[in-house]
Amino acid sequence: MATAKERLAKTTRFYQIIWALCLIGMFIPLIYPLGLPVVLSEPVKDYYKQIADLPEGSVIAVSFGASASLLDEQEAQFLATWKTIFDYGHKVIWYCTTEDSPIVIRNELEVVKPESYGYTYGEDYVILPYSPLGEAGETAFALNIRSIYTTDIDGTSLDAIPLMQDINDQSGIDLLIFEYTACTSIEWVVRQWVVPYNKPVIATTLGCCGPMAAPYYPTQVQGFLSGSGAGTELEVVSGNPGPGAAMGDAKNLGILPFLVAVLWMNVKPFIGKEE
Amino acid sequence: MAIFKREIPTAVLSFVGVVVLLAFFTTLDIFETLNGVFTSWIPVVSAASVGLGLIYMIYAQYMNYQRNKNLNNLIYLVVPLVFFVIFFGTALVVPGNISSDAYQWLYFHIYQNVGGVIYAVMFFTLASSAIRTMRLVTKDPSGALQFRLEAAALMFGGLIYTLRQIPLFQVYLPGIVGFGEWIMLVPNVGGGRAAVIAAALGAIVVGIRTLWGKERTTTEVD
Repeated sequence: MATAKERLAKTTRFYQIIWALCLIGMFIPLIYPLGLPVVLSEPVKDYYKQIADLPEGSVIAVSFGASASLLDEQEAQFLATWKTIFDYGHKVIWYCTTEDSPIVIRNELEVVKPESYGYTYGEDYVILPYSPLGEAGETAFALNIRSIYTTDIDGTSLDAIPLMQDINDQSGIDLLIFEYTACTSIEWVVRQWVVPYNKPVIATTLGCCGPMAAPYYPTQVQGFLSGSGAGTELEVVSGNPGPGAAMGDAKNLGILPFLVAVLWMNVKPFIGKEE
Repeated sequence: MAIFKREIPTAVLSFVGVVVLLAFFTTLDIFETLNGVFTSWIPVVSAASVGLGLIYMIYAQYMNYQRNKNLNNLIYLVVPLVFFVIFFGTALVVPGNISSDAYQWLYFHIYQNVGGVIYAVMFFTLASSAIRTMRLVTKDPSGALQFRLEAAALMFGGLIYTLRQIPLFQVYLPGIVGFGEWIMLVPNVGGGRAAVIAAALGAIVVGIRTLWGKERTTTEVD
């Protein structure tokens, strides 16, 4: 009979082997891409449709609560969304709800470059700075934007920005894109935008938060992207290739050791192996 | 001192709560106006709470070190402070503030990578705990095998939904996409909505207790 210390060492070694195999599995497709096709899911198709079906020049507000730490999971979603919005010629108001989001959005617009789509800052898009909004802040934004933001991210008064001239509450916004990373935050937007104003809402979030957005789809939230897989799907459906394809490829083989480990743990008791 | 710790915060909470409720359920302008004023205070209160959080964190780390003066606790106290000073100082002193090259370098070369690594490390802990949780059969102390129904439900839903996300299985396991979607949009939605309704009912009870000044946890921490 092995001692507790020996059993712990054995278990640790088992997980170390699994983790190492997962890492190797993730790296192989980055060197030799598998290029497997992506199957589209309904929430992603509806997400895309909400943007595509808006009349050209509609105003989209993006409640942008991105986290730099989670960009690997979400960057494909973001880039494909911005490209889709620009493709259809909609106007965008980004308002930043996390400390990271002003830096993230500025960095991403260096990649996507709205100007290459004929956009002009202030007329076609604007970025509002960080404000720690939370749920009550979402209410305040929907009621009176200038009660939260008096200037844009560069310190220019909202009254001096052409796009913001006639917009001061939810009535000037045609679609809300809600980006969040705390799973239950989806309820904020349902309570503060959908219930009082019946505003169309779509959402972007992490893979683990998808199941918590699903109860509100498609009635309150008309479409959502959860995780890098959904970002890849949006790249495909919108025809805007990006980093999502590589992420999807890395998951293909990285998951296999995990599945083998689950199988082994379930077979073990039947072949007389020690727990 | 209880009046400052308990009665005044409770009175403020109750007053604001009642006004916001009346603004929602009535059409009187006075409540709508007050609601607008309260909501415009939110960024100020939130920003103040971020500052308070920073002070509380430093105080907690300092007290932790005072209780147990070892090298680890000293590192836990000093390292966050050093990086706080570097980031805060760079944002304040370098022209361009958070848009300056120096701050952007700190942000994208230190903060983002450290954050990404912490998130990535979670993969390992999540994977190992999932492997242990998804054991359908375990041995009890007498050595007899026991079937675990909860583990079976978790394994069934979790694996189907996970496999649905992977292109390899989407291609070579026909039906997994539809099945994964069904798991997420039917059983998950049923359970999720039930949980939301239960939480909403609980929130109503807590809300009423708070307005009534009976919810001790809103103003006190055990």
